[in-house]
Amino acid sequence: MQRPEAGRARGKLVVLHPERKAQRALHRLVGAAGVPVEVTDKLDGPGTVIDETTIVIADATHAGPLIRPPARAWIAVPGEGLAPADTATISSLLAGGWDHVIAHPMPVLAEELLATVQKLLRRDAFGLEKYLTWSADVRGYTLDNAQDREAVVSELAREVVAFGLPDRVGSMVSVIADELLANAIYAAPVDEAGNRVRVADPRDRVRALAGRDVVTLRWATDARYIAIEVRDRYGSIDPRAIAKRLSVSQTSEGGMGLPLAYACCNQLVLDVAPGKLTEVVALLDVRFKPTDLARTASFHAFTGEAP
Amino acid sequence: MKLETSVKGNCITIVGRIDDTAQLHGLAAHVPVGKVVVDTEGVTFVNSIGMREWIRLIRALRETGRSIVLERVADVLMTQMNLIAELAGAVTISSFHAQYVCPSCGHEGTPLVDVGSGLAKMPALPCPECGSAMELGDFPERYLMIFKG
Repeated sequence: MQRPEAGRARGKLVVLHPERKAQRALHRLVGAAGVPVEVTDKLDGPGTVIDETTIVIADATHAGPLIRPPARAWIAVPGEGLAPADTATISSLLAGGWDHVIAHPMPVLAEELLATVQKLLRRDAFGLEKYLTWSADVRGYTLDNAQDREAVVSELAREVVAFGLPDRVGSMVSVIADELLANAIYAAPVDEAGNRVRVADPRDRVRALAGRDVVTLRWATDARYIAIEVRDRYGSIDPRAIAKRLSVSQTSEGGMGLPLAYACCNQLVLDVAPGKLTEVVALLDVRFKPTDLARTASFHAFTGEAP
Repeated sequence: MKLETSVKGNCITIVGRIDDTAQLHGLAAHVPVGKVVVDTEGVTFVNSIGMREWIRLIRALRETGRSIVLERVADVLMTQMNLIAELAGAVTISSFHAQYVCPSCGHEGTPLVDVGSGLAKMPALPCPECGSAMELGDFPERYLMIFKG
């Protein structure tokens, strides 16, 4: 007998949840990752060792001021059973510095949790393909000029509606793409001292986007999700600061762009290779009514090597 | 669709994209003091910079003592206004468009919702294709937070 080829995932998972039924369900979901899974109802449970190779999947009771021991990552699954998580809980987790907060019930929970765990285990953060099935046809644009933004957004919205998706989705996608592109063109560029050198640029100014200033947008749908991915070559985004900003009520002061994109999607993913690459992926579920999912989107922040 | 604005008497009409290029706050100087009606049914897109400019218009109208009635608010504007705490109670909304879906035939649309004397919950509206009762296709809070100021 020959052993089957080993998977690429390396590490260990710990499911930390007080309810036995939820423990079983989560164990089943993350068991598909192909690495050892431990299940416990408390952090200091017998035989549970959390170290820097461990990914912990925890419920919302660990959202408070608890000091979390260092781990490879902490993923919050704050929903009650099959119900979505409420907005207050998600905000509290984001404000508390959680890098991974899953808001939605099944089946989105399973898809999102497994993709998140595999990205972490494989240390392979980048690319919208990780959220879509093989059937998705990925399309893309490269912006040569800051003034290309409006044309790209209009073309994207036209394509989305031509794919048979409702106008509502086209409208959401337009707002998301516009904000992510604006962020990449104007907020991402930094000088050596970390100053954001383009943030005050007039938005009607023609500016060639070449070399490090190149911005790309890719998108695809697999009839479950539509995913929009925007990349810049600066890697200057601070995911913790973004999470904190998303956790509070919006005012007309300060940056409203990413909070608006977050409000329009079901899952916002920040992938960062510091100093080299930022990728923001926004996912919209196109299967379910918005009210079947959580009102507030899931959030994920990954740091890794640029591909 | 580029932004177009017009002022007739006490009514401001805004059509098209409210984006980085929008200059709205100056419109406040062109309407008489008193009640101002703003019609945004033709607004097709609003981004965060456009939203900031929209807030500047609301502020400019309020600071000069005008009362503001928003008529036929576009769905894209209505949902974004509901994200901004400052706008709750700052304006009177007489009607707005909202995302509705028909559970019978699957039709989706943005019919006009009349606020009338108040709106505690979103009404069921008839489907233009099959006549069945349409349901709100989104969370009520995305439309009703602004009424709780």
